[in-house]
Amino acid sequence: MTRSPDPNLPDEQTRPEPEAGGFTRRSFLIGASGVAATGAIGKASSKSPATAADPPESTSGARYEGELEVSFVLNGEVTKVMVEPRTTLLQLLRHRLDPPLTGTKEDCDRGSCGACTVLLDGAPVYACSILAASVIGREVGTIEGFGTPEALSPVQQSFWDHDALMCGFCTPGMVVSVTACLEENPGASVEEIETACSGHVCRCGTYPQILAAALDAGEKLKEGK
Amino acid sequence: MSSTLRQENEERAWSGRDGWKILDHDVRRVDGPDKLTGRARYTHDVRLEGMLYGRLVTCPYPVAVPAMNLEVALAIDGVEVAIELDQSRNEYGATVYLGQPIAAVAARSPELAEDAVRALEVSYDRGEWAVTREQALEEDAARVGEGENLVMGQPRGDIAEVEQELEECDAIVEATYTMPVQVHASMETHGAVVEYRGGDEATVYSSSQYINAVPGSASRPLELQASQVVGIVEHMGGGFGAKLSFGVAGLVACRLAKEAGAPIHLMLTREQEFVCTGNRSGSYQWMRGGANKDGSFVALDTLIRNLGGLGRGSHPGQPYLYAPKAFYTAPGFVRTHTNASCPMRAPGRPQASFAIESIVDELSHAVGFDPLEFRKKNLPDEVYHRQLDRVAREIGWSEHPNRTGPPPPDELPEKAIGIGFGVGAWDVPGQPDCQARVQIEPDGSVTAISGSQDIGTGTRTFLAGIVAEELGLPIEAVQQKLGDTRYGPAGLSGGSLTVPSLSPAVKDAAVKAKLALFERVAPLLETTPDNLRAAGEAVYLADDPSRRLAWKAVCATLTTGLSEVGEFRAELAGSGVHGAQAARVEVDTLTGEVRVLKMVAVQDCGIPLNRLTTRSQIQGAMIGSLSYGLLEERLIDADLGLQLNPGFVDYKIAGISDMPEFVAIIDDEDTRQKVTGIGEPPVVPGQSAIANAVFNACGARVRDLPITPDKVIERIAALREE
Repeated sequence: MTRSPDPNLPDEQTRPEPEAGGFTRRSFLIGASGVAATGAIGKASSKSPATAADPPESTSGARYEGELEVSFVLNGEVTKVMVEPRTTLLQLLRHRLDPPLTGTKEDCDRGSCGACTVLLDGAPVYACSILAASVIGREVGTIEGFGTPEALSPVQQSFWDHDALMCGFCTPGMVVSVTACLEENPGASVEEIETACSGHVCRCGTYPQILAAALDAGEKLKEGK
Repeated sequence: MSSTLRQENEERAWSGRDGWKILDHDVRRVDGPDKLTGRARYTHDVRLEGMLYGRLVTCPYPVAVPAMNLEVALAIDGVEVAIELDQSRNEYGATVYLGQPIAAVAARSPELAEDAVRALEVSYDRGEWAVTREQALEEDAARVGEGENLVMGQPRGDIAEVEQELEECDAIVEATYTMPVQVHASMETHGAVVEYRGGDEATVYSSSQYINAVPGSASRPLELQASQVVGIVEHMGGGFGAKLSFGVAGLVACRLAKEAGAPIHLMLTREQEFVCTGNRSGSYQWMRGGANKDGSFVALDTLIRNLGGLGRGSHPGQPYLYAPKAFYTAPGFVRTHTNASCPMRAPGRPQASFAIESIVDELSHAVGFDPLEFRKKNLPDEVYHRQLDRVAREIGWSEHPNRTGPPPPDELPEKAIGIGFGVGAWDVPGQPDCQARVQIEPDGSVTAISGSQDIGTGTRTFLAGIVAEELGLPIEAVQQKLGDTRYGPAGLSGGSLTVPSLSPAVKDAAVKAKLALFERVAPLLETTPDNLRAAGEAVYLADDPSRRLAWKAVCATLTTGLSEVGEFRAELAGSGVHGAQAARVEVDTLTGEVRVLKMVAVQDCGIPLNRLTTRSQIQGAMIGSLSYGLLEERLIDADLGLQLNPGFVDYKIAGISDMPEFVAIIDDEDTRQKVTGIGEPPVVPGQSAIANAVFNACGARVRDLPITPDKVIERIAALREE
């Protein structure tokens, strides 16, 4: 087992510890490019069609090769997908699946807007700041698993009733965070809901309706229990 | 077709409002479930077979000649295109603004596109620049394009009269008000997905506020005719004015597609979104105003300098909505090597509002007049008087102890409470550029179709709502098709134009479709078409409502579907809206921190097509103003020529914890039976009301936005020293 992105791995048994393996995406990328400067990371055991041809000798461009299989539980279903070590969970969801799961939005890609929030083992995280490789063996929940247009979840229904969305681009992330907050505590206070949503930006200005929707959904969840 | 019936229906316009079940009510937005479940497809989400991922490279310096190695990038397997973008360079081949795109790549995955960008190894030979107003006005400043950096406009008003009036005034205030450049920062960045595989046709998915303009713009880099290009925007993650033109991201996406002969997905990064997609121009306004103790605003002398980078910036002129006896305004703009400004939600109006509402407030205080009454006395349009009275009631002005001004500096409480006011306007008529279509099928299904777009404002919902109201159906019964150039001509969604331009055409199409249906089924019901009505999911006889047929049964008698096109009808569209806002703030007089406790808006808009989304729009605008007033500021280091805060980490935007209590009131005393847009006007007065409330609380007059704690505490300290 390893906690670091050992360049001689991956193999399928590689499974980082929870909490994203203790390294951030940014430090990992810095580390990875340092490695890459001396050559490609390992040799690809299986290549995606995109890198099927033999790569040219690395010149000045920092780059590395190889993919690993990420096996995880996605919205309740075991999912296996090949990704590069540097691929983030967000990129995996939006670009590596067939069909892609695009409900999780790509926005700042630097952990500062909340649009890409998903559940990792039940806790809200920024998918842009989690390496795909670090979710091996873990459970990921995306907005696609929260309800359908025909059967909205209680939080989604409450958002709709309170008009807690406008352009809708921040909305999936908001729904994920509010849902996680209320699942932990349906009686969450205003302050607790604000804390849960404090990592999210909404440019249209729907925060007051989101707060109202969350409080209302909490009440309904309490009644339901 | 019964001509009398048609005439009757056309004449009745928006009448029957008392009986409406959908319009003028709270209606949830029809695309809510799709957006809430992640099913709504935005441009960013479009995936096409064989699609390449494009990446733009922007210059980190304002003026520099970049050198790069395209070959190294192209040598990477999977990198298909790498091009240098050398348009809009100066005579030395240097870039002309901070963040100017200089290269683009396309590769088989987003990761490979990042590799390609790194492989370009761009180096920069930096030139001289001027990126701030001060820098641009220095004697030996670097020139920004042809001519002087300061470009003066045509003055308005009579300076001699102003000078004369000022001599007689009881009080004169001279002050400079400045506002920073604000960035739109839509949640979905600019970009396009271009479906082009060689040949003579293309489909361009674009995060656009004006999809009907996309084929024309995209056709040039694709080397096609506009008629060979389809534009699509299903859902759109905000624009606020920055996505009216196709923009550099779209144009480069098309160029990459042309080079590759393959589909391209190019969405800007967040950092790029902050530097090269336009902005709200900053503003420098010097004012000298005079007032008398009887509360009359006598004279105003103004110098305006828009700070729009390479652009001219925006400003409607002073004294904006006020009417001093004499005024003189000298407009102008200062050019800098920064991204050109573009329209942003009520272009120029918040800038105008902040300066005029500040000096009005300062003058009222100088002559010892109630700032609310001073405003009413000097606003010629009386609609503002009732609106100001309403917001004053809601905010608790009459019970407020500081009506005549803040307490003396040495008597300030730790938490000082203040109230401030502002007014705003917007005046655009509907544009005759929209068509709409309504289809009724034999199975009873109804579809409303338009080539317009829903930028997050609720266009789909009023499209369905108008049709459902006309046909007596629930809103769920009307499908909507929107955001596709094949759906017919339609205008832009900006400047609050969508409602007044599109809704008359939708109404027209719905009326025509209903009449066409009546025409066909009248014989069946053994009556004439003009004796038919539609309500409650049924068609019935006006003179004998017991004789009715359910909607489905009526439509089942159709052998073919019917389809009617509606046109713009000017008599249905209004223009000219008013709004007043009040803010109650708490100032921590030890730290200078400002917390907005409550904001109230009263806004007229003719008939609100959807009261729920109208209130959301007003409230969202107030949040934008709060954010601009207290937090937002594009920061550029003049010496280094670097933009310091191109992202959500350092460019602060109000979050959920900054929210006060909001009261958004639709002004139902407005009896105009016409529709208008509501996107722009409520964004105008908010930051002005907050700034005035800060003064009212503690005496700190912050004349340069944003109102950050350091400025407040500095002014309080200065007051205590005086």
